[in-house]
Amino acid sequence: MTVFLKREVARRVFAKELMSSTYTLRDDSEKSPLYVLTPLGLKCNRVFIIGVLTEKEERGEDGNIYRIRIVDQTGSFIGYVGKYQPEAYEALEDIDTLTLVALTAKVRVFEGDTRKFVTLRPETISIADPESRDYWVIETAIQTLERIREMEKGESETAKLAMEIYNPDLEEYKRAVKEAVERMMEDYGELEVEEEILEGEEEEEEFEFDEEDISFEEEEIDLTELLED
Amino acid sequence: MNRVEKLAEQIFEEYKDYGVDKKEIIEKLKKLLVEFRVPENEALRTIRNYIIREYGAPATIRRERITKIEEIREPNRWVTVKAKVIQLWESSSPSIAQVGLIGDETGHIRFLVWTKAKKQPVEEGKSYIFRNVVVDDFGGVLRLNVTKISEIEEIGEDVEVKPPEDVSEEVEVVGALVAIQQNSGLIQRCGVEGCSRVIKMGKCPEHGKTQPKDDLRIKGVLDDGYRTYEVIINEDGVKALTGIDLEKAKKIAGETLDRNAVLIELKKMLLGKYLRVVGTATPRYLVARHVEFFRPDIRKEVEKVRALMEEI
Ligand SMILES: [Zn+2]
Repeated sequence: MTVFLKREVARRVFAKELMSSTYTLRDDSEKSPLYVLTPLGLKCNRVFIIGVLTEKEERGEDGNIYRIRIVDQTGSFIGYVGKYQPEAYEALEDIDTLTLVALTAKVRVFEGDTRKFVTLRPETISIADPESRDYWVIETAIQTLERIREMEKGESETAKLAMEIYNPDLEEYKRAVKEAVERMMEDYGELEVEEEILEGEEEEEEFEFDEEDISFEEEEIDLTELLED
Repeated sequence: MNRVEKLAEQIFEEYKDYGVDKKEIIEKLKKLLVEFRVPENEALRTIRNYIIREYGAPATIRRERITKIEEIREPNRWVTVKAKVIQLWESSSPSIAQVGLIGDETGHIRFLVWTKAKKQPVEEGKSYIFRNVVVDDFGGVLRLNVTKISEIEEIGEDVEVKPPEDVSEEVEVVGALVAIQQNSGLIQRCGVEGCSRVIKMGKCPEHGKTQPKDDLRIKGVLDDGYRTYEVIINEDGVKALTGIDLEKAKKIAGETLDRNAVLIELKKMLLGKYLRVVGTATPRYLVARHVEFFRPDIRKEVEKVRALMEEI
């Protein structure tokens, strides 16, 4: 009984939380979309992200798919943009790497032989400004902390389910949020310079680790699946 | 109020003009329900028949148990309402004949008429009795469904409607513009006096081919991470955000020989941006009266994060 297609909210979630997700579920209703359940009990099907576009590579048989990496304050998101999403594809053609971008994307989960992977299928992508990025970090921090609070209460169904499936270290997520906000606030002169350098090094290490993960991921994924709705 | 009293109240409301005694109804109902354990609908039937017999009330009255819209609180109920059609909206699906908002003096509710119901279309501003319509819950919003077994009867009476100020509320929303719909940018509206519907495929849905007027607007989705708002930004709003007004939009279209070039430009400038919108929220749209790029005071905002962090 769909009249107005009820639009899924674009959730605010950091890479660390979203990319650790492996579990999917649907609502009771027949037409329910597939949701990803994150370790903090968020059921999401669409996200809104502002981060740095660090990689943009042509993939697919005729190079008609872009594989992109977007980095936020906690880690990185991987996305695939095909010609089947002309709006995002055309916009992406004009955007260089190391640019701050805003994207709205559907969340997809693919099953490899050994584990599941979250990828994004962007619907829109555009150039963003640092001020918007900072606000995104704040919004995402607040919404993440609200989820942590729900997990601590352990009353809601999704919180219980997430606890059962992931048994997440909530302290670790709190720390990640704190670090994300502090890293962002450096621009506002709230942190010492030395710390800044240290954080930078840490981040680079993390990337290399991710990259290994991902190249192994791709061997197992049929890219064409990524383009299906 | 217990269940017996509630049912008695309902029957009393139906028949109070016939001099029925509420106490008597309560006693009889109690006997049937509590003492004899008769099913509720049988008990009600018995009482109604008794009233019809003893008080000479017309037998047809029981069809007209009219529910006030404010009483509609949960799905899966069959109700009859007397209401005025406040607004009709574009149906987005061929299986829906009509969709819109109706109201009575107590409130407003969405309604839809399924194509399969094969009903005469209702008109904005007219009042009707909608008989045997079923309530459903669509994403947290209750709606009345007119199906094959429902009846719609136009009535001469002009049903008083709760003032619309109470439906549309003045709101301020900050959110990211996560989508801009295709029927945005440099659009054409029907030229017929008082119509101004958007032209699709060269035609007004009401008047067919007419002399169109150009207009500039954005229909998009504002999203704050908790909920979405379908936002409409008119020419003034578009100009305030992008510097592009109708004249400039026409110029862009003229130079590129492509009306769509305006939309592409607007998307580039606005998609993914945080907007602060002050406007009127109706059940369907957020109509922007004032719109600007949201410029947060990050130092202030970060305090909210810190406060929350201390709390958990
Ligand atoms: Zn017209």
